[in-house]
Amino acid sequence: MSSLDESSPTPSCEYQENLDILRQTYFFSGLPLESLKIFAYLCTREKFKEGDYLFRQGEDDGEAFCILSGKTQVERTAGEAVLPIRLLETGAFAGGLTLIGETRRLYSLRALQETVCLVLSREKFAKTLDQFPGQRPRIFRAVVAAITDWEERFLEGMAEASCGGCTAKLGVSLL
Amino acid sequence: MAKADRPIVKRSLFSWVFDGNLRWQFLLLAIIAVAVFTRVLPLEMQKRIVNQAISLRKVDLLLTYCAYYLGAVILSSACKFLINVLETHIAQQSLARMRIALYSHIITLPLSFFRNTQPGTVVNAIVNELAVPSNFVGSAMSTPVSNLLTLLAFAVYLFWLNPLLAAISLSAYPAAIILLPFLQKRANAANQQRVDLSRTFSGRIAESISGVHEIHGNGAYRIEKSKFDRLVEQLRRIRVIWSLYRFAVKSTNNFFTSLGPFLVFILGGYLTIKGQLELGSLVAFLSAQEKLYDPWKELIEFYQVYQDGRVTYDRTMEFFDVEPDYPLAPADRPAYELQAGLEVESLSFYTDGGIRLLDDINLRLEPGEHLALVGFSGSGKSTLALCIGQLNKYSGGHVRIGGQEVSGLTKQDMAANVGIVSQSPFIFEGSIAENLLYASEAVAGDDGHPRPSLDDIIAVLHQIGLFVDVLRFGLNTLLTAETHADLVKEIIRVRRKFQEKHGEKLSDYVEFFDENAYLFHSSIAENLTFGAANRGDFAYTELSRNDYFLRFLEQSGLHPLLLKLGALLTQQTVDILGNLPPEAVFFEQSPMNADELPDYKVVAEHLRRRGLDDLAPPDRDRLLHLALRFTPGLHKMVALPADRQRLLLAARTAFRERVSRDLPGIFAFYSKSDYIFSQTILNNILFGKTKSSTPQAQEAIAQNIIQVLIERDLLETIVEIGMHYNVGGKGEKLSGGQRQKLAIARVFLKSPRLLIMDEATSALDNTSQARIQNLLETRWKRKSTLVAVVHRLDTIRKFDRIAVMKAGKIIEMGAYDELIARKGALYELVGRK
Repeated sequence: MSSLDESSPTPSCEYQENLDILRQTYFFSGLPLESLKIFAYLCTREKFKEGDYLFRQGEDDGEAFCILSGKTQVERTAGEAVLPIRLLETGAFAGGLTLIGETRRLYSLRALQETVCLVLSREKFAKTLDQFPGQRPRIFRAVVAAITDWEERFLEGMAEASCGGCTAKLGVSLL
Repeated sequence: MAKADRPIVKRSLFSWVFDGNLRWQFLLLAIIAVAVFTRVLPLEMQKRIVNQAISLRKVDLLLTYCAYYLGAVILSSACKFLINVLETHIAQQSLARMRIALYSHIITLPLSFFRNTQPGTVVNAIVNELAVPSNFVGSAMSTPVSNLLTLLAFAVYLFWLNPLLAAISLSAYPAAIILLPFLQKRANAANQQRVDLSRTFSGRIAESISGVHEIHGNGAYRIEKSKFDRLVEQLRRIRVIWSLYRFAVKSTNNFFTSLGPFLVFILGGYLTIKGQLELGSLVAFLSAQEKLYDPWKELIEFYQVYQDGRVTYDRTMEFFDVEPDYPLAPADRPAYELQAGLEVESLSFYTDGGIRLLDDINLRLEPGEHLALVGFSGSGKSTLALCIGQLNKYSGGHVRIGGQEVSGLTKQDMAANVGIVSQSPFIFEGSIAENLLYASEAVAGDDGHPRPSLDDIIAVLHQIGLFVDVLRFGLNTLLTAETHADLVKEIIRVRRKFQEKHGEKLSDYVEFFDENAYLFHSSIAENLTFGAANRGDFAYTELSRNDYFLRFLEQSGLHPLLLKLGALLTQQTVDILGNLPPEAVFFEQSPMNADELPDYKVVAEHLRRRGLDDLAPPDRDRLLHLALRFTPGLHKMVALPADRQRLLLAARTAFRERVSRDLPGIFAFYSKSDYIFSQTILNNILFGKTKSSTPQAQEAIAQNIIQVLIERDLLETIVEIGMHYNVGGKGEKLSGGQRQKLAIARVFLKSPRLLIMDEATSALDNTSQARIQNLLETRWKRKSTLVAVVHRLDTIRKFDRIAVMKAGKIIEMGAYDELIARKGALYELVGRK
């Protein structure tokens, strides 16, 4: 065995790195290692040049992105106008809901500089979860917690800044 | 034959015995008659050898009778072999016919039947269950006839020898006939109990293993053991009872068949001593008695085959004894050519459970009008579309196409006039071309429906937006020198042109074949050889067994490194994929194929137990094989450190020098002026491999290649090659969008008069969706009537009419502007969106 031990999986292999990243991502962190390993294996790394779109508003690309390096901007197009919403940078995860169900993007995500992402498709996600049906509730729990957490932070933020008539549209966590 | 026209589910098992097999069965009968004669003849020869040849000490008679004896034995064996051949032929022929008939019947059954039937049940019925009755059919005539005739012939012979002795010795058989079925029945009942209990037993084990963490957590080993003990005891008991009955059947049978010789000894011996029976006759009697056992045993076994076959056949046919909702084809007329006007009147639809999904639907479309059905999920849009398309059998009211009631039309009428693109279109295993022609082929030849030409197909591919995808499949094809000699020369020219015009700007997306760089998107074998083999034993797949190559690896010191790498890849891949099913999505990024995984699991186990150094040679071969396939850009479970890359790069140069010296011409090394047959057309044009699979990268590469291909007039040639691309089971090698486009294209190719599209563009991106929408408006409006279930409301403006559905009813219908102006349900829906 000794000959093998000295060259055991090097920490720098992409699969190991992916595994570490997914364990720190809210969407996957509650999953046991057996399924996490498969997600880490199935993820691919993609490089986007400045100006490339990771996804576009109105489309159902079915992919989740974890940004490993670079900087991207969430944008919303209304008529001719493009409204910058916010920046997503290294460590951000976008697209968990896309993995769960078919949904058209409400925003576009554009690379502001060269950006490297970990990408997982809905098909890969669904086929893997089919092998571990007992783990679906964990994903749902993570999503429910994230939505509630997001709205809670939003509500706390509102105490500082008024948002005009937007209170009538609050309540995404009531869905 | 009339029997063949009856649905299989109405046919008896016996109907298969002669149907289509008549001449084989007669041939079988003739062979059986000869076989029976050859079984009796040796008995008479035995008698004559003892009574005449031995008693009278005549050697010539002995030789003559022995020759007859031997001839009969040889002929008997030949007959037996021929009987087996014919039985097998009849059984397999019947099995094939049963499978075809049952499959043909099953695919015509109503969709509602399949909602309650697992695919596995159908698979099991066709693949496994029919084998049992077909075995019976194979031997249904031959076994009883041959064995009964043999028994009869032996009995007649025995009576001819001595009637009294024959009557007494055969008296045991009637008793057996009465007792054996009784015991068999008990054995069957016990067997049934055993099967039921075994299922419970398996379920219990599976449950315990899945919940083993709970057992550990609670330390509940004693509880689980006692539960298990009880089941084991029950199973033990029933298995004993079952076995006892089975042995009782066997022993009773043996007892009665052995009684015969006993009676012959007692009575025959007495008669021979008294001089009333010749010794030769007694010997023949004893032999015949012994030989009675075989046909008797075969008859008893046949009885069991018959019982199993009958029960399985009846159960299978009962399960599928469902009437199709509609006749497949009209009996006395050609398929209708319908005007595509559509009328729906007071339509209602209830599920089997009595739940109402559609209520009092009324609408009317003139030929060529386009209708969009909109509403929330569950409002009945798809149900209505499926009722119009005859896929749902409506419960009340009318649907008329061209004035003909849909419920009265045959499937052929519908196929000839209606095209349906369903919500989740199904793409079958086969080529792109086969799938494109699926709908057209189904009606081709019927009433002058022409088959689409290549130009038609290419035109539709363009219109739907599949052209570039099919081009890409074509570009990913491997060519051979034999079949595409001219094309490869053209591609070299394309390569030159491409490199001149676009090479540099694509370097972000392409890893060019550079002699001095390690290629991360090529395998280790490709990196080492940097060429394509001109001899089969040097092909990449054979290198791990090629002595010359292995010697090179040993001498260059790479062998142990590659073995370690193979071991690492094996352990990691088996750890990740070990328990996954063989689906393409799991194995696209794996160095081992799904069908190799079981073997590598064994290698991984050997590695764990023995270590790399003590591994057997076949295991080491596998490790090397895997390592040579390792492609760092694709297989991410193991890293390839820089020092190893340098070693491999140095070995590339050494290998090239050595091969050029030892075996010149065996490799065609990558060169810009030669076509590389081990690489795809795309890689040949690029003279490299793509690094990225992002849409941006694919788009950039495709655009540039198309430009050059158009210049060289090669575009359609490559698309034609791409149409042979195999899409995999359920079209798994295609993306969701490609599957949907293919489904739309196949219906467009058929040019139906009525088009039903059930959320047919839901998986398409904005551009593709707009393209299809535009196509419907420009090419299909006024030409074909369209009923489209639409989810995205931004695509419905140009429909002639829009029906808004809610809870199974149409609550509003009219043109888009009219409904929006009315500020009713559509206005509300659009506002929400």
